[in-house]
Amino acid sequence: MSLRPRVLLVVLAALMALAWSVVARAQGTPQLQLQMDTDTVGLGDVVHVQLGAQTSDAAPSDPRLTLPAGLAVRGQSTSPTQTHININGVQSDRYGLTVDWTVQTQRVGVFTIGPASVAVGGTRFAVRGATLRVVPAGQAPPRQAPAQQAPNSPFTFSPFDPWKGLLQGFGQGFPQPDLQPPQSAPQLTTDPKLSLDAPRAAYYFLHATIDKTSAVVGEQVTFSVYEYIDLGAQTAIEVDDSDVHDATAADFVKHPLLREDQDALLAGYAAIGGRTWLVKLVRRWALFPLHAGDLSIGPMSVMLARPRSAVGQRTTEAFTVHVTEPPAAGRPPGYALGDVGHFSLSAQVNPRDVDQGGAVGVHVELSGTGNVPSSISTPAREGIEWLAPEVHEQLGGIGHETFGGKRTFDYVVRVRRSGDVSLGELSLPFWDPGAKRYDVARASLGVLHVKPSANAPTASAEAPEETLPGLPAAVDTMEGEPSRRAHLDDAPLFWLLGVVAWPVAFGVAVGATAAGRRVTRTWRTRKTSPAAELKERLAAADAAIEGSDARQVDAAVARALEAAAMAHAGVNVRGALGGEVAERLARAGVAQDAASRIADILRECELARFSPEGADVASARDRWVRARGAIRELERRA
Amino acid sequence: MRRLLCALFALFALLAFAAVAVSARAAHADEGETPSAVFAKGAQALRDGRASDAIAAFEALADQGTVDPVASYDRGLAYAMRVRIGAEVSGDLGRAAQGFEEARDLTRDAKLADAATRALTVVRSEVARRRTRAGEPVEVDAGRSLARTVSSLLAEDSWCVLAAACSAILAIGLFVRWIARTRRLRVGGGVAAGLAAPVLLLAIVMALAARHDRLEVREAVVVTPGSRPSDQRGMVVPGSTPLPEGARVEVVDSRDTRARIRFGALDAWVPESALRAIARWP
Repeated sequence: MSLRPRVLLVVLAALMALAWSVVARAQGTPQLQLQMDTDTVGLGDVVHVQLGAQTSDAAPSDPRLTLPAGLAVRGQSTSPTQTHININGVQSDRYGLTVDWTVQTQRVGVFTIGPASVAVGGTRFAVRGATLRVVPAGQAPPRQAPAQQAPNSPFTFSPFDPWKGLLQGFGQGFPQPDLQPPQSAPQLTTDPKLSLDAPRAAYYFLHATIDKTSAVVGEQVTFSVYEYIDLGAQTAIEVDDSDVHDATAADFVKHPLLREDQDALLAGYAAIGGRTWLVKLVRRWALFPLHAGDLSIGPMSVMLARPRSAVGQRTTEAFTVHVTEPPAAGRPPGYALGDVGHFSLSAQVNPRDVDQGGAVGVHVELSGTGNVPSSISTPAREGIEWLAPEVHEQLGGIGHETFGGKRTFDYVVRVRRSGDVSLGELSLPFWDPGAKRYDVARASLGVLHVKPSANAPTASAEAPEETLPGLPAAVDTMEGEPSRRAHLDDAPLFWLLGVVAWPVAFGVAVGATAAGRRVTRTWRTRKTSPAAELKERLAAADAAIEGSDARQVDAAVARALEAAAMAHAGVNVRGALGGEVAERLARAGVAQDAASRIADILRECELARFSPEGADVASARDRWVRARGAIRELERRA
Repeated sequence: MRRLLCALFALFALLAFAAVAVSARAAHADEGETPSAVFAKGAQALRDGRASDAIAAFEALADQGTVDPVASYDRGLAYAMRVRIGAEVSGDLGRAAQGFEEARDLTRDAKLADAATRALTVVRSEVARRRTRAGEPVEVDAGRSLARTVSSLLAEDSWCVLAAACSAILAIGLFVRWIARTRRLRVGGGVAAGLAAPVLLLAIVMALAARHDRLEVREAVVVTPGSRPSDQRGMVVPGSTPLPEGARVEVVDSRDTRARIRFGALDAWVPESALRAIARWP
């Protein structure tokens, strides 16, 4: 075969293989369809994106959806189906997969949702995306109400539709009986502000909010509780009224902003987890922190009584509010902690002309928003007596958001002085949280014209005994801060050198002296030991034999022997006579012949030393040689 | 026409700038009022018999963190004045006593200390009088413990100097007794050491006690009438009488909104709001 036919055969085989793969691929390609329930939605709304996949080869799996930035998947539900039909022995299989993604919009714009893909038999197949337009909230056209579908949840089992959940997955080949008439859902616009990432519970749940997590003492913190009711739930939802527990806020003064007898207010609708929820405002409180610190607001809870499948407690979130005091800088005189809000004061004094000892009425109105103070400081002055006021209040919620109103104080003021008496000024310093600064509400009380009266009870007549008599006079000049100086006992050096060093010095001196004595004693003891003496005597003998005085040599030899007997045998042979030397040595365990030799040498030395003729040096040196031998013998024995 | 518009615009801008500058300066002046100025206002109000204004000014001074014995003393006088003129607010006597106690502790001026002591006596006499009428014990000042009384006999540094001197005498005496040859010197050294040793011990203990007092002990004055002592659980101590207003107590512990105090032999808990701490030099 030539080269060309061979090449042609190879090309032909490749083409056949390619064609076969294309055919095979065409047979296994699933039918994919991507749908959205609307193409235009408002910001924050949700849109349902549904991918349907049908194939006869293998079950589709691993569905994926690509989303651009500005859209987020909030939920996904997957429904796989299988159909196996056998007609006249011919088996026909069909696999399906329906995926429903709940997508929430986060930005205005035009987005391409997709592509979406599924895996079939190890191969991934994709379908092109769809375009979604997101418009500002509330501007989206109303959606067409989808046909009411029975959810797959077993909790929504209906006696009128026992098979619907089971029959739902079947394909077109089996027409489904319409067991439930389609319901028309109301056209609802959901409020993104009420949306949550996910429902806190099925059917019904509570959700609480606070308008701020940090505040100053006395500043209003608005606490709200909403109930969320699933509009898609096809069952009755009932809350046990006898098992409702309000939130605890022990560190706050609590004022309800909703009337106690008022029904829950409709707050709007929310789209959460692909479902629409009815949202009602059930509690709104104005909470005023009593003190600084991290103050907690406990959860509110209710008991869901129906549906039976979801019975249980529903609670709100708990919160912690970081509470501080208003800044000390710029704090006006007379500011009382907790006076926070925006207040105004007005006052009326009637009459202006009064007799001495008489009384006038002062009507003060304190109004504003915030924690309206329950008392105001009156300008105490000598000769003017403010009696306890009669207080009336009209306080409550202002537009469901703010607490406030007014308090009126009706004083009776007795005047004991005469002439033009100034009542002074009422003032109420407060912290304005909106403006973040202090302010002072003021009301001038003006001047009273007091006629002197002879019958007027004088101060001395009314008060027979003076209160706090003998108080010393005031001082007009500040003393100032003293120059800071360190205290002696704050310095460790003082304790070390000033207190501890002296006794320690004495202790060291005593100790050193004792140690010195001990060392000296030891040294002296060592110096007078038999071994030291022997060493000394041996050296003396060695030195003596170098000389020519035989007597000195004999004397040195005798002393060396005596020292050796003392050092090695522990026997003092000094002054021993005759055979006594040998006896003592023998008693000390020295061998008899060695003892005799030592005794002999000692005797010879004595004779030579005290002989009238005198001894010659050579014999003396010989005795020294023998004495060295005896000493070594004693040493070995020791 | 165009020039006129430009001129008008420039004039408007100038006026707006001036308004902003003036308001900013006013706000700055308002916020930046010096302690001396606030004190002067309070002192003037005190002279004029405006007790409430004086109290407001001296309290503002305290809120600013200004510690001064005269300010404390005048604050006490302002509260006392409010009582004297018949405009008493509950707790005024206690606050007056607190001001005088604080002034007495802080001052280095003997005259001011004497005046504060006299004022304190006047206020406590009034409290005692009221308690007598109410059938309550008249004891208003439980006094300090023996150790604190002894340690306060001398200044902290004096105890330190005494300790150092005694330490030196002890050591020298011991040296002399040890080294000296003559009997007289040896006896003298022994006597000096024998005397110096216990005094040294006492001086060290007192110096440490005074230091502890300075650094650790917190004291306060009861500023509410009728504050009943309770136990740790908040239950009123059976048979206890209300703490006297104006009493000086030692604060041992503090939890949440309650404080554990010692008043004489009494060791109990009271609300922190019933107490006002006595300031110390920073």
